[in-house]
Amino acid sequence: MKNDSAASEVLTAGIESVPADVLTNTKKEFALPEGNSKWFFGTSGKTTFIGAAIFLLAICFLDSFTPVKVIPAYVKHILVSCLIYAILALGLNFVSGYIGQTSLGHAAFFGIGAYGTAVLMKYSGMNFWLTIPVAACIAALAALPLAASALRVKGSFLVVITYGFGEVLRYVAINTDSLGGSSGIPGIKVPTIFGIKMSKIGPTGKEGYLILCFLIVALLAFFMNRIEKSRTGYAFAAIREDEIAAVAMGIHTKYYKILAFVISAFICSIAGSIQVAYSSFVSPELLTSTQSILILTMVIVGGRRSIKGAILGAGLMTILPEILHSLKDAIGLSFDPWYILYGLILVIVMRVRPQGFWGNSSDA
Amino acid sequence: MDFVQQVINGLAQGGIYSLIAIGWTTVFGIVGVMNWTHGEVYMLGAFAGYFLCIMGMPFVPALLLSMLIGSGIAMAIDEFGYKPLRKKGKMAVAGFITALGLSTFLRYGANAVFTPNPRAYPDVIDYQLIPILTVGGKTLTISSIHLTILAGTMLIMVLLELFIRRTITGKAMLAASQDMQTLGLMGANSEVLIKVTFAISGALGAAAGVFVGTIYAINPMMGALAGLKGWAVAILGGIGSITGSLIGGLILGVAENLTAGFISTGYKDAIGFIIMIAVLLIKPTGLLGFKFDEKV
Repeated sequence: MKNDSAASEVLTAGIESVPADVLTNTKKEFALPEGNSKWFFGTSGKTTFIGAAIFLLAICFLDSFTPVKVIPAYVKHILVSCLIYAILALGLNFVSGYIGQTSLGHAAFFGIGAYGTAVLMKYSGMNFWLTIPVAACIAALAALPLAASALRVKGSFLVVITYGFGEVLRYVAINTDSLGGSSGIPGIKVPTIFGIKMSKIGPTGKEGYLILCFLIVALLAFFMNRIEKSRTGYAFAAIREDEIAAVAMGIHTKYYKILAFVISAFICSIAGSIQVAYSSFVSPELLTSTQSILILTMVIVGGRRSIKGAILGAGLMTILPEILHSLKDAIGLSFDPWYILYGLILVIVMRVRPQGFWGNSSDA
Repeated sequence: MDFVQQVINGLAQGGIYSLIAIGWTTVFGIVGVMNWTHGEVYMLGAFAGYFLCIMGMPFVPALLLSMLIGSGIAMAIDEFGYKPLRKKGKMAVAGFITALGLSTFLRYGANAVFTPNPRAYPDVIDYQLIPILTVGGKTLTISSIHLTILAGTMLIMVLLELFIRRTITGKAMLAASQDMQTLGLMGANSEVLIKVTFAISGALGAAAGVFVGTIYAINPMMGALAGLKGWAVAILGGIGSITGSLIGGLILGVAENLTAGFISTGYKDAIGFIIMIAVLLIKPTGLLGFKFDEKV
């Protein structure tokens, strides 16, 4: 492992087309390629975070100061969904972005988090905040067999293994009575924070979750931004670009592949726990393959291994169906046009911009 | 005795899985894309057969015409979906996501056009239980519908095997699954070969759809799970092997029936994935497959 760092640095320097001066500029100041430091219209990460935080707080508490309600609860509900999906998309980014393997089973980890929290709260009365890490550790353990299979097979074969993994877990959830069968577990208690119920924060009761999710997404974005520039991140890049070369450079590919799966499962499970607390019930619906495909398309449409892309992709793919849904009600269609359009979007994006909206052009 | 009866009942379903699996495996072997739309071709084939039967066409012409329609749909999918990507040389992930998108589009498009209500075929085959063997007062039977399906499946597979072994196009397909580039250098038109591959895949998928329609009610969502089970069977039998697909399909059909009969109906659909995962981990090439070399 000693040579690992130097090896991966040299390797990725060639692959990522880092400016030439980086090679001479060895230690501290590792100048990153343009674009990575720009978050939103060229602003830095800190500015984006503060701007987004102010915007979010304004949305949350504007109604407390105005006599009439300006922002409907529905908008806040969609925002919470967007952020939960953003957590999922960022989590999947470790597998589908960094090590470049397609997974269609990540709803399973979402579901493990959700069911873990629900079961722990319901049957053992555990505190909600404690269930999050416990469920996440269970999900990380469950990711190990999947990671082990990723060491043996890849590409189309891994896709179908992950898909099968998710489906099998869904059947387990449907067929286990203590998990509530196909109707799931209703009536999960609302968690409290500092003695205040989460549903009592702010005018509509969704503000607590909105802030919680926002903080997690921001933390994840920061974490991933750092990991990309770390030794681990370079090892991921080396494995993605050329696994055989990575092994030849002395990178412990098995370790890093397992690591990517475990981190990914851990993050997706957190999203599941929050989803349960927010909607106060859990059902096998969370585990469907449609859900997995949706998370994957968020990453792909947004741009693989682009943090900004995953967040914005999640937002786009959550808001669009809601718009189309209201359109359907407005003109009285007998079917939901969203899925038809969703398929077309995927085909067109792949044709026009295979790297996704916010992805790197080298990624196509 | 019950056990043997369950095995017999599973054979017809297994034959249907085999047909779907061959559609997957031929396309994957030659074009290298995981053709996720195959389940949708199967569904559309079932609907084509349904409407033809409703219009009063006898079963065999309806089956043949549906297969033709299935070929057309599969070729159209290749023309509009995969060909532009192939020309750009961006088949790997983009091809897979395009397949996902097309499949969603077709499934929900069909949902909008045909409505989600399940439909049942008219009685195209006379239903009767044919006794095979009587042991100790109990009689093993097979239904005439299952027998028709099994016979139809076998016939289609024999014809396919003959086509691949005996005709020049078939031999070219076999060669293409090993090395497309070299075949191109030998003067074969790869685009035509790919279209033929898709046509065969579509015809087999549609045939499977029509067969399944004679047993179960059909609906626009039927392709999602069946398509994936087909891929599971293709992997189980070994990618690129027709005999493997046949054996894998029969194994899956029987295993599902046994699970439903002796373990729990709830896990019937899960067993295929469990078998597939186990096989992939123990023997990644499947029962009869050959190894796909990683390009270095």
